[in-house]
Parts: sequence; structure tokens; C-alpha cells
Amino acid sequence: MSWARAFMARVGGLFRQESRDRELEAELSSHVEMHVTDNLRAGMDPVEARRQALLKLGGVEQTKQNYRERRSLPVIETTLDDVRFGLRVLRASPGVTLVAVVTLALGIGANTTVYSVVNGLLLRKPPVPAPDRVMVLSSVEPAKGAYAANRSSVSALDYLDWRAQSTSFASMAAADFDDFTIGAKSTPEWVLGARVSASFFDAMDVYPALGRAFRRDEEEAGRDQVAVLSHELWQEQFGGDPGVIGRSMKVNGNHYTVIGIMPRGFRLGGQFQARFWIPLVPLRDNLSGSGRDARYLRVFARLKPGVDEHTANSETKAIAQRLAETHKATNEGWGADVMSLHEFSVADSNAETALIFLTGTVGFVLLIACTNLANLLLARNSARQREFSIRRALGAGRIRLARQLLTECIILSLIGGGLGVPLAYAAVRALRSHFNWNENALAMSKEVMVDGHVLIFTAVLSILAAILFGIVPAIHTACRDANEGLTDGARGATAGATRSRLQRLLVVAQVALSLFLLVGTGLFVELFIDEVHSSVGFESHNLLTAAVSLRGLAYLQANRQKEFFEAVETRLSSLPEAKAAALASTLPFDSPDSVRLRVEGHPVPRPQDEPRTGFIVASPEFFATTGIPLLRGRAFTAADRAESVPVVIVNEAFAKRFFGTEEPLGRHVQIDPSGGARAQSSEVIGVCADINEFLGQQEPRPELYVPFASHPTGTMYLIVRTRTQPLEATDSLRRAVWAVDSDQAITSLRTMDRAISDSSQGDSLMSGLMGSFALIALFMAACGIFGVLSYLVGQRTHEMGIRLALGAKPSQILGLVIRNGMALVGAGTGLGLLFSLVLPRLVAASFEGISNLHIWALLAAPAVLALVGFLACYVPARRAMRVDPMVALRYE
Amino acid sequence: MGEEKKDVWQGTLALMILKTLEMMGPLHGYGIARRIEQTSGNLLAVNYGTLYPALLKLEQEGYISAEWGYSDNNRKAKYYKLTRAGRKQVEKETRSWEETTAIIARFLAPEER
Repeated sequence: MSWARAFMARVGGLFRQESRDRELEAELSSHVEMHVTDNLRAGMDPVEARRQALLKLGGVEQTKQNYRERRSLPVIETTLDDVRFGLRVLRASPGVTLVAVVTLALGIGANTTVYSVVNGLLLRKPPVPAPDRVMVLSSVEPAKGAYAANRSSVSALDYLDWRAQSTSFASMAAADFDDFTIGAKSTPEWVLGARVSASFFDAMDVYPALGRAFRRDEEEAGRDQVAVLSHELWQEQFGGDPGVIGRSMKVNGNHYTVIGIMPRGFRLGGQFQARFWIPLVPLRDNLSGSGRDARYLRVFARLKPGVDEHTANSETKAIAQRLAETHKATNEGWGADVMSLHEFSVADSNAETALIFLTGTVGFVLLIACTNLANLLLARNSARQREFSIRRALGAGRIRLARQLLTECIILSLIGGGLGVPLAYAAVRALRSHFNWNENALAMSKEVMVDGHVLIFTAVLSILAAILFGIVPAIHTACRDANEGLTDGARGATAGATRSRLQRLLVVAQVALSLFLLVGTGLFVELFIDEVHSSVGFESHNLLTAAVSLRGLAYLQANRQKEFFEAVETRLSSLPEAKAAALASTLPFDSPDSVRLRVEGHPVPRPQDEPRTGFIVASPEFFATTGIPLLRGRAFTAADRAESVPVVIVNEAFAKRFFGTEEPLGRHVQIDPSGGARAQSSEVIGVCADINEFLGQQEPRPELYVPFASHPTGTMYLIVRTRTQPLEATDSLRRAVWAVDSDQAITSLRTMDRAISDSSQGDSLMSGLMGSFALIALFMAACGIFGVLSYLVGQRTHEMGIRLALGAKPSQILGLVIRNGMALVGAGTGLGLLFSLVLPRLVAASFEGISNLHIWALLAAPAVLALVGFLACYVPARRAMRVDPMVALRYE
Repeated sequence: MGEEKKDVWQGTLALMILKTLEMMGPLHGYGIARRIEQTSGNLLAVNYGTLYPALLKLEQEGYISAEWGYSDNNRKAKYYKLTRAGRKQVEKETRSWEETTAIIARFLAPEER
């Protein structure tokens, strides 16, 4: 392997070059001396002897050069030379360098920001060993007509059967995610947690860093009051005390012993969030016959080594099939699905589409930046034409020159990218603080950060960008005929023509890209503005809301729940800050529960075809407090209790859907007719207005309200109409609740307006981002057009001078330049519009529920771009107009 | 010289250097050059300068090693000598050349018998 040895020797030759040079010098001079001595001995005279010796050697410098090339790796040396030279060049033209670096910083920084989000939300795998081997098993609802089958939770009996019968998994576990009230500190807190089987830790293959996980025998009632906490919860509640094992923590009023702390960073996202875990003890009901219908568990499983997802999927589907046949009553038509945890979380987060749009937008911004830079470089290189021609004349190859130019571009790009990183860092920080519309979003925000992956991405992107914007100018400049630039007066001739054609092409491309981008972002901004301007359908200002989920054995009875909430409502309505108070199971703008329904007089062929409706439990004061208008009939009163005739109030959408033009009052419906206490026939006693839940994008959902007194539940929202600023009443609200029971946690304390904006799930964030990127792109496009036109006009100074001398009016020159410039803008706009026509449909197809898309974006974008383009043309045009003909003519 | 010829030339030059060192023992660059010229019967008129990159290559490949010493005239000179790997390489290359020339000879010889 002599070549390997040689290569290493050459790498070594990169170092200590000076001393090696001296050694070579010594060797060569000794060679010459010896030759001279021989020549002298042969009879030549000293001068001749030396001359012959040198001739025979064949050129000392040449020999040295060949030797040097052999000694080290020329590629690396020339690259280092290029870098050094490039840095000098960049320093010599600070204006160009500054513009280029800023443009790159903006473009690359924007991409880095978006990639941080994509990396955190879509790409990062769950923090468990071999994350691709952890699966989520779901039951699959029987397909209903055209709707795709939904994945759903799993029942306890199904889980046990799956675990017994399947052979693809090394471990399988069930989990019930819920919220809990915990009390280790003085005030009760509401925290997400999960009841899990002991095998959960096996399935994840992550075990407590402190203490231990559950044992199988702890999955029984009586032995299950043990808890494993997450690292964060341990820090928060116990201050990170290492002696926490064995201490007690109140969970829903009961005392649990802390037996383990999970390692830092163990965190599942989305609906699998939990800050602590307790053993899962299935209720007896869920373990017998009809309990197979209660689907509430999430099932995790780790694949056995050697088994792949596909096999596991087929096997589980087959098992589900068998169960469907054996237990027709509960499982008919139900299937199963196995999906990796990562894929499941991604699908769950609904972030994919939005992120794809963001990535596309920001990619376009970078493209626009690159065309800007390509133009800039073409202009700048024309000034260096002489330098390149001389180098060509001295023997530099075309490739060598192009390499040097590309190296300059890469340096620029790396500097720009380097500056873009702190920009991205700041942007990500700002973004994270806006990810706050619900618990899910808060969890998502923790995942978004500028980490190692993102930095590598930035470096790679910088280099790719450099190649993208550098290749055209490099090839154009390096492939010039070597004669050009060396002769005087050769300005503007043939080289100028190709170059300015290229530059004009780049401007057109830039304008087209900008238009496309503007239309796209404009659509999002338009949607958002629509949302903001839609009225919500009730008086949402001056409303304070909060939620209470009753926890504790005392509240298992419906009576106790009713007492609690009615007491709280009374206290709230007597507060001095409150004008009125009410209770509801769901706030307006939140997704209500949905129940099956049978409408009297509209029978359906099969139980599966029964329609569904939104179902809300409300106290009598609900409509008065929220200001939802009651259009027909009456509201609930104190007389509507569990013992009296069941009544409901429906909204307009419901009346339209189920009764059409007929009178809804007096009609009867049966809620959840599958059985249970709810299956009584209820009379419709009132019709209320629709809440404009989808802000005009979709038809409102049918909803049905029942009185709280006849349907008490343990989780209710408190709604208070305040006389002044709602947030001023928060303390009073808390006191009112805790006066009734100080162990209950109050959550989601916010104003109704905030709740509405939270429900938009980040639309405002998305439009804000799109808007910012559009502005950046617009700015870059303006700079680009301005820059190129200034340059082109500058090239034509001579021509302008002649025109003026021949009698042209300055205004004609102005007109000429503006016409030329606007021609480019026009061409670009036209091209861009052509491609933009597809955008409205693309956006509508990707985001469900968007039906009304105006075309304002398609009209506004070209107008804005034309205006910007005009302004960008104007300044160079004015400069052209002011050219002194004598100066121009003299200046060759 | 065209690119190909240069490669062939560099290859043969390397072999000539190695063979010279094998026969003559340690020698400096000038001496090797002179010796090669002599051995080839003065048919090869080469620039001595081409020797030095070739010597460097052989040194990098590990076939020869270099050391500064004194010539007969007490002049400082860099002496090269064969390493063990170099000796093996000489044998290998020699065999390979002999085979090549034998094959070519058969092609170039007139058709006989």
C-alpha cells in the first residue's frame, strides 16, 4: 500500500514547508556544484561549466515547482490560497460584501428558524432507545360510508387479548392519560399524568434514574398508591430533593408514595404527555362482557427483535378480526392498526401541512436572495475583468478561476450563515413564546430549539446556497475570452451584452419568485384578517372563564357534583365584580362532546347511521351571561331538574339540519339512545343563535344544550360576566371556588377573548410568520431590482451622454430608463402570476374547512410588486437623467 | 510530452533509479542522474531536474530513504539508499518488465515455423 504511505507523506508535506524548501535548495545547489566540478574537470571554463550545469538541470524554478507539487497536496494549498485571496477581495469591496452578507443572513437565518421548528416537531424521534421499534396500537372504528376509518383507543379486554395472542412484541403496555389534581405544595395543582401498566417502562425501555418502576403486583387496587414522577415534576414539587423516594404526594385527594424519578428528558408529546405515572388498575366493569365497549386505553408495544412493523400490523389486524367474530356485540366491524410512535405523534400534531407551507415559503425567500446575489456578483465581477484576463494570460486554467470565484462565494455564504444563526436563535425564542394556545402547543414549544442538527443544516445550506448563486457568475466570468479586459475601450462590447442579458433574466426570475411568494403569503394573511373581522355571534368581551375538574371520592356522586357547582355559581354571581355567572360543560369555540341522537319522526335504518350532535350542559343563566341570543322559546329555569320533564335547547344549525323548515319547538329527541340514564325523550323548548365558531369558513355545527341540574358532571367551566376588566376578578373567582372546597384545582383561567384566540390554534402565528417572510422577500426583491438597474444604467452612461448631447430631453431619458425597468418587472409579474394561479386551490385543499378564498391576494400582490418595482427604477432613472453629456462623452 | 508518455516515463525512471541504487549502493541525486545517463549508453538525454520529483515520490512510497552525508570532495550531499521494501519492489518490477517485453517480442517477431 505504497500509495497510502505516499498520501500520508503528502499530507505531512503541508506542514513545515519553509524548512523543507531550504533543504531542497541545499540539495539542488549541491547538485549544481557537483556538476560544475565535473565540468571544470572536463575542461570547461567556470562560466561555461555553470551554464551547462544549469541547462542540464532544466530550470531550477521549474524543478522546484514540480518538486513542491509532488511534496504536498496542491488542491489543499490552492484552496487555502483562494481563501486567503478571497478574504482580501471581500475586504476590498466592503459595500458589496456587506449587502451580500446581510442578504444571506436574512435568507439563511429564516431557513434555519423554520428548520428548527420542523426538526423539533416532525423530525425528532421520541427520547427512547430504538424509537422506531416502539409502536402504538389502536382500534379502528368500522368505516362509515365515505369517511376514512378512525383510529381510536382500545378497551381493557381487547388489550388483554391482544397481549395474550400476539407474538410480534417483546412487551406491551396500556396507558390511560388523564389530568389529575396533585397537592404536594400548599395549593392544589392540575397536572397531566397517566395510569400505566407496569410493562410501560419495558415497552419504552426507559427506567427510573432514581428509585424503581412499578411491579406487576402493584396493578391491584389497594397496592397501587405508588407513583413515578418525571424529572421536571420532581424539580418543581420537591425541589430536586434526592430523598424524595418514600415521600408522599396527594393525587386526587389520596396519598401516593413516590417510588421513582424518570431520567431527565424523558418526555412523550402530544396526547401522551404525562408528568407522572401511577399504576393502571382497570375497573371491574371494564373487565367484564360489555366493558369491551369502553375504549379508553392507549396501547404501546415494543417490537421483538427481527420483527418489522408490517408483520406486526398484519398479525394484530388478524387478532382483531378474530375478536370481532367472537364478540359481535361489542367488536363487530372493529379492526386494529399498528403505527410507530413517531409517525403517530406527527399525524396527531396536525402540524405537518402548516410546516410544509412554511418551509416552502422560506425556501423561496432564499431563492430570491440567491438571485439577488448572483446579480450582484455578475456586476462586481465585471469590474475585475482585467484581473482575470491577466491571470488567464499567465496560464491559469478556467477551472482554477471558477474555483476561486466559488471559494469567494462559499466564504461569503458561511459568513452570512454564521450571522444568520444568532438571528434564528432570537426568532426561535420569540416563536416559542407564542406557542401558547393550549397544553399541546406548550409541549411542542419545548421541542423547538437550535441544536446540533440545526447547525449542521445551516452549514450545509450555506454551501449549497453559495453554489447556487455562485455558479452562474463563476462560469460566466471564468469562461471569458482571455483577450477581453486587457484591451482598452473594450467595455460593454460582447461580454457586456451577455452579462446584461443574464442580469435582466435574473431580475425577471426574481420578480416572478417574489410574486409567487407574495400571493402565497397574502392568502394566509387574508384568511387571518377574515377571521379577525368575523363576529363571534355573542358578546365575548368582559367574560372571565375557568375550569374545575372535581377530584376526590366525595364527588363520585352526581348530587355532590351538583351541590358543588351550584354553590360556586351562587357565590360567583353575588361577587361585586360580577354582573352574572353561569356554568357550561364546554366553552363556546371549544369542541363540545358529541353524542348520538335519535330524532322523533326521523327513524334511521341502522344504529350506526344515527346522527351525532354537539352536546353541552349549561346552567339556566348560560344564555344571559354569554349573550348568545335565544331566538325562540325559553331558556332553562330552576324548574328543569332531573325529576322534571327532560328538556333541551338547540341551536339554529341543529334546527335547520334535523327539522328543516318545520317548527322545532315541541319536538322530541332522544340523546344517546344506546341505553343508560340519558335515553329519555327530551322536548325541544328553545332555539338559540349559532356561534360563529369557524369564523365564516365553515357552516356551524349543530349543538344541543341540556340543563345542568338534570345532567350534572364533574368537570364544568365557570363563566362570569364582569363589570370591568375580566382579569381583575381572578382572585375573587379563586376565593369563591375555594370557599366551597379548597382542595379543588382551578385551571384554564383566562378571558373569553383569549379562549377564542387560543382556539384558532396558532393561525395568528402562522400568518405573522408568513407576513414577515413576505416582507423580507419584498425588501430583497426591491434591493435586487434597484441594484441591477443602477448597474445597467451606469453601464450606459456613455449612451445617455450621447442622447442628451443629440438633443434628448432629460424627461425622455427618465422615461426610457423607467420603461426598461418596468418591462422587466412586468415580465416577471406576468410569469409569476401564471404560476400563482395554482396557489389558492393548493391552500384550500391542504387546510380543511377553508371554503371561501377571495382573490384579493392575487390582485394585491402584483400591484404591490409593481409599485415597489417602480420605486426601485425611479432612483437610477433620475440619476441617468442628470448625466452631464460632456462628462459622459469624455469618459471612455 | 503527452500525458501518457509522461506516466510511462515516470514509471521507467523510478525503476531505473531503484536499479541504480541496487547496483551502486547509496548515492546522491547527481550521481544517480549521471549513472542513469551512462547506463543507457547516453541514449537518454534527460533533464536532471526530473529526477528530484521522482526521488521524492519513491521516498514517500517508502522504497528509498534519504540521509545527508559527505561526498568524496567533502561536499555535503543528500544520499539515497534502498529500503527493504525497495529491494522487493525492484525484483517485482524487473520480473514484470521481463514478462512484458517477452510478450511484446512474440508479437513483433516475424511469423515463423
